[in-house]
Amino acid sequence: MKGTIEIEVKDLNFYYSGDIHALQNISFPIFKNKVTALIGPSGCGKTTLLRCFNRMHDLYPKHRYEGEILFQDRNILSNNIDLINLRSRIGMVFQKPTPFPMSIAENIAYGLRLKGIRSKSELVGRIEEALKHAALWTEVRDKLNESAYELSGGQQQRLVIARALAVEPEVLLFDEPTSALDPISTSKIEELVASLKKDVTIIIVTHNMQQAARVSDMTGFLYMGELIEYGTTEKIFTNPDNKQTDDYITGRFG
Amino acid sequence: MNLETKRKAESFIALTLSGLAAAVGLFWLVYILGDVLINGIGALKPSLFLNDPVPAGVEGGGLRNAFIGQLMITGAATLIGVPIGVLGGTFLAEYGRGSRTARAISVLSDITVSVPALVVGAFVWAIVVRPLHHFSGWAGALALSIIMIPIVLRTTEDMLSLVPWTLREAAFALGAPYYKVIIQIVYRGAATGILTGILLSMARVAGEAAPLLFTSFNNNFFSGNMNGPIASLTVTIFQYAMGPYKSWHEQAWGAAFVITLFILTLTIVGRVIIWWRYKR
Repeated sequence: MKGTIEIEVKDLNFYYSGDIHALQNISFPIFKNKVTALIGPSGCGKTTLLRCFNRMHDLYPKHRYEGEILFQDRNILSNNIDLINLRSRIGMVFQKPTPFPMSIAENIAYGLRLKGIRSKSELVGRIEEALKHAALWTEVRDKLNESAYELSGGQQQRLVIARALAVEPEVLLFDEPTSALDPISTSKIEELVASLKKDVTIIIVTHNMQQAARVSDMTGFLYMGELIEYGTTEKIFTNPDNKQTDDYITGRFG
Repeated sequence: MNLETKRKAESFIALTLSGLAAAVGLFWLVYILGDVLINGIGALKPSLFLNDPVPAGVEGGGLRNAFIGQLMITGAATLIGVPIGVLGGTFLAEYGRGSRTARAISVLSDITVSVPALVVGAFVWAIVVRPLHHFSGWAGALALSIIMIPIVLRTTEDMLSLVPWTLREAAFALGAPYYKVIIQIVYRGAATGILTGILLSMARVAGEAAPLLFTSFNNNFFSGNMNGPIASLTVTIFQYAMGPYKSWHEQAWGAAFVITLFILTLTIVGRVIIWWRYKR
């Protein structure tokens, strides 16, 4: 696979409180404007790895990182990284939709205001742009001032994606974004992910192998905290080098 | 005796005993409230609210001084107690979450809630009234706020803890600093619960006489000066009920009725907010 490397993970080890060794010696590149899927059975460390990229673990005490994650040649695991700046450049979408308790428009304006955008007209324009980007605009254009909780689960998830896109991140992390959604909403989110990669680099954690095969360019298979195999999605799903990868994708375990 | 009749008998005994206990409790409650209602309604006339006390035997005295004083003391107590309670609860649920200090404060406030109000009054007398050599409205407000703080603190802590962590994570993931996450996301999610806690804590202190007895004392004249002794409904009710005059007793009934109504209203508003919040 050719392309510019956006993020380079080098010898990453991660420990939760109590010295639980959750990630072991992980090294791999993430390419710009590609979708990278992380797959593996429950508890293999794929979400833990994803949450390293925006330092979400820092919210909880007694974790420890070792190694490096180079994002545009800067180690984001270093102590003098500004987490607020990092998280505005690497956005995240969670498993369950997380709309804030406010209106649809306010949800998107929230991130924009954090970036210091105050002008009313600019906010209005950016809100519309973000909702169009997340393919939600036609459904909500007439109820921008209604509570975000009025939307269906799938619409809420697209609203959250629009909110993340509004602050113009360079990377978007998706943590099993469709596991709480019905099949129709799922396919809409998958189409959206595919269309977004021209603007952002995407890393998606999924326990749904068909989804990984459908949306991603690169796939990493994790098992027991180790990156067993990493390569193009086509290779991982048709001709993997490793026996464990083969067993997992053919459904023999996991 | 077969198993079924035995179980039915046991069930009958348990039902009778618990029913009786409820009836005894309810009887006194209805008796007291009914008494306040019957005696109080007769004492409600405009003069009760509009006039200040007059010497016994003179017609047309009222308790304007005590109504105003009560509002001032309760209001000042709210202004002191609510910010401390809400910010303290925020510390427990957010910055200090899970730490040993936070858990200790949490347990201590649960204990403080059940400290007798009279002890709080004596405490404020010892640290404020005695060193300054005079009773004051502020001392009364301080005593009431000490009763309010643990209630507001614990409700705030509980309500903030109910806001799902994923919501905070989502705000952090957008690049929000912690104080903005708390003020703009968490408070918004917990606002109705915190407001209910504040209202219920006001209802709790509005009926207290004991902590005011040693602090704001009482005043037979109208006074808006929080630096001196100031009248309150609860202390006035205590004093008038003990007094020898029929007109005093009547006014005490009226005041008791009004204060009961005030507490009832606060409680109902609190309940309505809870109901309105959870039906959605």
